[in-house]
Amino acid sequence: MNAARMMFSASLYIIVCSARNRIRVRLRRLREPRYLFGAIAGVAYFYFAFFSRVRAGRAGRRRRAAPMPSPDVMAALTASGPAAAGLLLMVVTTAFSALPVTSSLLVFSDAEIQFLFPAPVSRRQLLLHRMMRSQLGILFGIIVFSVIFPSASGYARLQTGISLWLLFATWRVYFAGISLARTRLTDRAASARRTAWTPMLVLVAALAVVAISVARAFATRPVESAQDVLSRLSEVAAIPVVRILLFPFVALVRPFFAEWPWPFVLALGPAALVLAAAIVWVLRTDEGFEEAATQASARQAAARQARIAPAPTARAVGWTLALSGPTEGLFLWKNAVQIARATTGLTLIRYAVPLALIVVSMSTSVMASRNAVGLAMALCSIAIYIAAFTVMLGPQIMRTDLRDDLRHLELLKTWPLRASAVIRGEMLFPGAVLTAIAWLALTCAAILSAAGFPRLSLAWRMSGALSALLLTPALVFAQLMVHNAAAVLFPAWVPLGTSRPRGVDAMGQRLILFGAVLLTLAVMMAPGLIVSAILWFAFYRFIGAAVLIPGAVICLVMVAAEVLTATEALGPAFERLDVTSIERVE
Amino acid sequence: MAFTVEHLRRVYGSLHAVDDLSFHVGEGEIVGLIGPNGAGKTTTLRCLAGILRPTAGRVRIDGHDIVEDPIEAKRRLAFMPDEPHLFEYLTVEEHLRLTARLYAVRDFEPRARALVEELELTGKEKSLPGELSRGMRQKVVIACGLVRDATTLLFDEPLTGLDPIGIRKMRETIVARGRAGAAILLSSHLLHLVEEICTRVIIMDRGRIVADGTFEELASRADLATIGSNLEQIFMRVTGRDTAT
Repeated sequence: MNAARMMFSASLYIIVCSARNRIRVRLRRLREPRYLFGAIAGVAYFYFAFFSRVRAGRAGRRRRAAPMPSPDVMAALTASGPAAAGLLLMVVTTAFSALPVTSSLLVFSDAEIQFLFPAPVSRRQLLLHRMMRSQLGILFGIIVFSVIFPSASGYARLQTGISLWLLFATWRVYFAGISLARTRLTDRAASARRTAWTPMLVLVAALAVVAISVARAFATRPVESAQDVLSRLSEVAAIPVVRILLFPFVALVRPFFAEWPWPFVLALGPAALVLAAAIVWVLRTDEGFEEAATQASARQAAARQARIAPAPTARAVGWTLALSGPTEGLFLWKNAVQIARATTGLTLIRYAVPLALIVVSMSTSVMASRNAVGLAMALCSIAIYIAAFTVMLGPQIMRTDLRDDLRHLELLKTWPLRASAVIRGEMLFPGAVLTAIAWLALTCAAILSAAGFPRLSLAWRMSGALSALLLTPALVFAQLMVHNAAAVLFPAWVPLGTSRPRGVDAMGQRLILFGAVLLTLAVMMAPGLIVSAILWFAFYRFIGAAVLIPGAVICLVMVAAEVLTATEALGPAFERLDVTSIERVE
Repeated sequence: MAFTVEHLRRVYGSLHAVDDLSFHVGEGEIVGLIGPNGAGKTTTLRCLAGILRPTAGRVRIDGHDIVEDPIEAKRRLAFMPDEPHLFEYLTVEEHLRLTARLYAVRDFEPRARALVEELELTGKEKSLPGELSRGMRQKVVIACGLVRDATTLLFDEPLTGLDPIGIRKMRETIVARGRAGAAILLSSHLLHLVEEICTRVIIMDRGRIVADGTFEELASRADLATIGSNLEQIFMRVTGRDTAT
């Protein structure tokens, strides 16, 4: 057996066995109730979130007979679509080629590096193996997309799937070539440098020629309509030079626009040709393979490790642990130090940017629906959403408590501490931080409340704000209690550190846990709310809006009592908690 | 008084990792716990340390039951595992301080200084575990175990990852603690270390004790008398790995 066939069969063996074993593991773990229930919840979620909506949408379309674009527009789209999409693809490809991003095709797993790199196989064969392995991921993504793709016919789904596969496969291979070329841009040998620079310079030059032609087409007279834009792009694409330069890009997108079945089949030929050309080019420019692959794999491994356990920095935190004091204080210090050292500007951006986007978009939608205007009103609305988001989702996101410290359970179990104090101590830091953030946002909202709620009197606004301030720690600590109770009672359900198990079953587990948290929160708040309601009916007529405040105080006190009682009750369960329930038996 | 193990059993599913284990380690005794891989040594030590809950049996540290009275039992205990588990966000100094608070160590500062020097951690006090080599991390775990006056010391492969100087110092430290009256149980595959510093040896196989005694006692056992007093030969014989027989 020659080396190429040997590598091909070895590659196929790795891919098939890995895929088979991964499916087996996923199926085998369904024997455990937590994964079975999780899988049921996950499948149900998918069904209701996607499939039922797709079916309902289809039925709705049939009933409504949604208006189609005019025949002229459809004709223009069919005629000019490939040119416009090809042009877009060219621009995106050039932009990405200039970015210092390494192709994922050059990322090998640790096992691949250990087993295949020292094996008697060529670099080309290794690249072919990696290309073959990447197909599974592409195919899976495309199947999922094709299923949820809003389309009336199965053929259209098939056409979209095949077109997407050709596009993504070529895209990946091409960027592997670009990544390989990049490693030789500063090579000592002039010929190597020439070979490395050529594809990028050719691409930029091609884009420049096409851009000039497009600019000329649009500079002569103003644009009249979308149809006009498409027809002018079509004219540009028909220019012989531009046609040649755009060929690979247009060929890759043409299958999306071709009619089913024969025009589509005919469009596949040129697209396949482009893919084959990209593969040949990459296999011929494999000189910098080892360096590029090793660097890419190391970067990927570091990024993966950073996601599991971000590398902290030993910065001073200005808080020295006192040598005596309550257990809770010890955990407050430990978790505060952890956050202070784990949090970097980048981490803050990672959480702050999505949070800001969510809050701003939600606020904007509310403002729009109420026809509200004014900066003060907008800020008030944003502050309320920040507070609500922090209180309701903060305890789920901020896991610097027992959920994170299950990783250190072996160490915690050797400490001579009361288990209930450990649980309380673990909750203290995230609870304090979330409460502080929510309080800050609520204080801002209270200050701006005159603009945010112009119809409410000062008494109502201040009573409401004060009540919200009082209820915040109750809601935060009640939720943290449920999350930590879950960690003690069902440790196997809790992902360790920042790692997250994958799969529909794991997603279902998270949904179940979230539902359980909400349910428990409702149960915990119920006694306080009932007493508050009684107070309302008894005293509202005498003290008005101020009755909200004693109601909130009662809720806070009752939830505090419940949390204390629950942590005491969880103590024996923590004592019984076995490290083998969260780790494999040695 | 030190510590006593009575009919200890630990089961994982259908696997009896530790089965009916009973022994006593007195004050000043250094007992070596040896056995082939999978014999149940680490499970035994983890049960003694309160990490794993025994399926059956009792473990008493200075008379305090590890299950019924865990806080008092753990106060007297120091466990040094084979794999150094440290908080990745706390420095060496902060780990020692944390330990001092947990165990209410009175003269913490001079003790910590002496230990840092003894274990050659000087200059690493402000370092995080991620910045230390495995051997250094092992030394931090050992320092945390020794910064307090534990009456019972449990070592699981204490020399793993240490350099020759560290090994020598560690050996001296264990012997010194034993002489000072601590009851020490040391699990190791390094038979020459066990032979050198232990006053008694317990050999485990398949979750059970197959031999327990001083080297002289073991060597004089009827079934072992012919093979000499070499611990390796004794180990091979009692665990059934002696192919010569």
